[in-house]
Amino acid sequence: MDRVLFARTLQAQRTKLFIVAVALVIWGLLMPLIYSELIDTPLGAQFKQMIDSGLFPARFANFGGSNVFTLPGAIALGFIHPIFVAIVGVFAMGFTAAAVAGERQRGTLEVVLARPISRRTAYGSLLGATIVMLGLAILAMVAGTLASAAVFGKLDELDVGQVPLLWLNTVLLYLALGSVALAASVSFDRLAPALGITLGFTLVSYFLQILGSLWPDAEPLQPFSLFHYLDPAAILDGKGDPFDLVLLAVVTALAVAWALVVFPRRDLAAPS
Amino acid sequence: MTAAIATEGLTKRYGHRGPHPPGAGGVIEALTDLSIEVREGEVFGFLGPNGSGKTTMIRLLLGYLHPSAGRARVLGLDTEHDGLAVRSRVGYLPGGIALYDTMSGLDLLDYLCRLYRRPPARRAALADRLEMSAATLRRPVRDYSRGMRQKMGVIQALQHDPELAILDEPTEGLDPLMQRAFYDILAELKHEGRTVFFSSHILSEVERVCDRVAIIRHGRLVALQEIGQLLDSRKRHVEMRLSGPAPSLVDVPGVSGVHVTDGLVTCQLEGDVRPFLAAIEGAPIRDLTIEPAHLEEAFLEYYAEDLGLADASLARAAGRGA
Repeated sequence: MDRVLFARTLQAQRTKLFIVAVALVIWGLLMPLIYSELIDTPLGAQFKQMIDSGLFPARFANFGGSNVFTLPGAIALGFIHPIFVAIVGVFAMGFTAAAVAGERQRGTLEVVLARPISRRTAYGSLLGATIVMLGLAILAMVAGTLASAAVFGKLDELDVGQVPLLWLNTVLLYLALGSVALAASVSFDRLAPALGITLGFTLVSYFLQILGSLWPDAEPLQPFSLFHYLDPAAILDGKGDPFDLVLLAVVTALAVAWALVVFPRRDLAAPS
Repeated sequence: MTAAIATEGLTKRYGHRGPHPPGAGGVIEALTDLSIEVREGEVFGFLGPNGSGKTTMIRLLLGYLHPSAGRARVLGLDTEHDGLAVRSRVGYLPGGIALYDTMSGLDLLDYLCRLYRRPPARRAALADRLEMSAATLRRPVRDYSRGMRQKMGVIQALQHDPELAILDEPTEGLDPLMQRAFYDILAELKHEGRTVFFSSHILSEVERVCDRVAIIRHGRLVALQEIGQLLDSRKRHVEMRLSGPAPSLVDVPGVSGVHVTDGLVTCQLEGDVRPFLAAIEGAPIRDLTIEPAHLEEAFLEYYAEDLGLADASLARAAGRGA
């Protein structure tokens, strides 16, 4: 990893990171707030009655295996909700897919690689920056969630000791997706194909997971989705599966290995 | 003396996938069997029109591309295996340089210099010569004109005082005054023993600043000579107006293409001028013009075929018209 390139990458992304972190803090604040409204207000009680009546199929009521009438369930929903996926996904995938292919297309990578920096070092710096940014972004979400739970006096309903594992599992999921995006980024000279592959991979992965959770016949497809390996509800219940972490780490390692092999061997023709 | 750049049979082929146009093969050869040696301390011109392989050659030297065959050494180091060491001693100006628009000029120069781990020893002098004031450098790059971006390109390539500067079309976008300032910078570099590898399609500037020149055509080296030698070997155009009978120029060494019409003699003169001067001694000359040879003519001669010119003399005529 090159310290200068790493620092410059973080510096260039700091405004986006700040905006995403603020958005995730707010999103994190919402989950205990919603839970509190469901539990502590007459309107919430009516809503619970409606759910318990069987009006909605149980699969829809317990979206993603989360029971929103428990604090861990509400928090878990926050970590798998499309809004959260969109915020983190757009930020992480947008940055990683453009990190090399975007700079190649603009021509700025030329200037950096004219310096005594190997392509592997450049890649390592970008990967390092991705890890730091994802870690901070997910930390913002966790911080918002814990702060909100504390404000509403619900913190004792949560096994706080499991929260670091939830943070780690979430970071690993988006790091795996980011690594795939970065691998696509070093493989193309233009942003569009790198972004297309990244977006396609992420959307298909998310679709398989959601489809499987809503339709029993599609459940066998879920293991093919990376999102299947983040189960916040199980983690917060103390039933997190270490295999999830291992699998996400393996996917990340494979994507990193691909990039480390392909990037240095590629011909970088003059930007057109 | 170690060569600053030495290539042996350097070849670059690009695979071409998909349907090919009739007659075209599956592989494009951008550079073919190129062997050149650039001496330390010289300003070396690498000349050819767009698409001739100049940029491919530069990208091979800097490790952006991997050679299909042959090898290249820069400052005695193999470009394939010692790429980092090569790049730590080289300054590179890409053609049509792209910069980070959101940074200020100064921040960008600082950043790019820190990546070298070397102090910006030449920055102040370069900025001064290229009229990039401190106030200008504090402005965001997105506000810069094309010429200012090119000046930034020159500064970033040379600010760390590299032993070898590789410059791809360096004067593109510079106004004539700044071009002159740039030529002065090159002269200074040469005076200090630095080597400059200079790619261009602007013949006049190569003629003006380079010690030697290589001319490349369709990825192949077609000429590699001292500028002076190259010009000496070119035919100069001679026009002589007479007030009496024309002297006999038949069999005069170096003279060819003699035409005599109504007191006007035109011919081509190549090499030593003395036999020609001896032949016209005593002739009733009213006016005599010997046009100096220009690199344009040499260049156009090598490219006559591409330009659709039937022969070299037509190329020379085109060169004079250029």
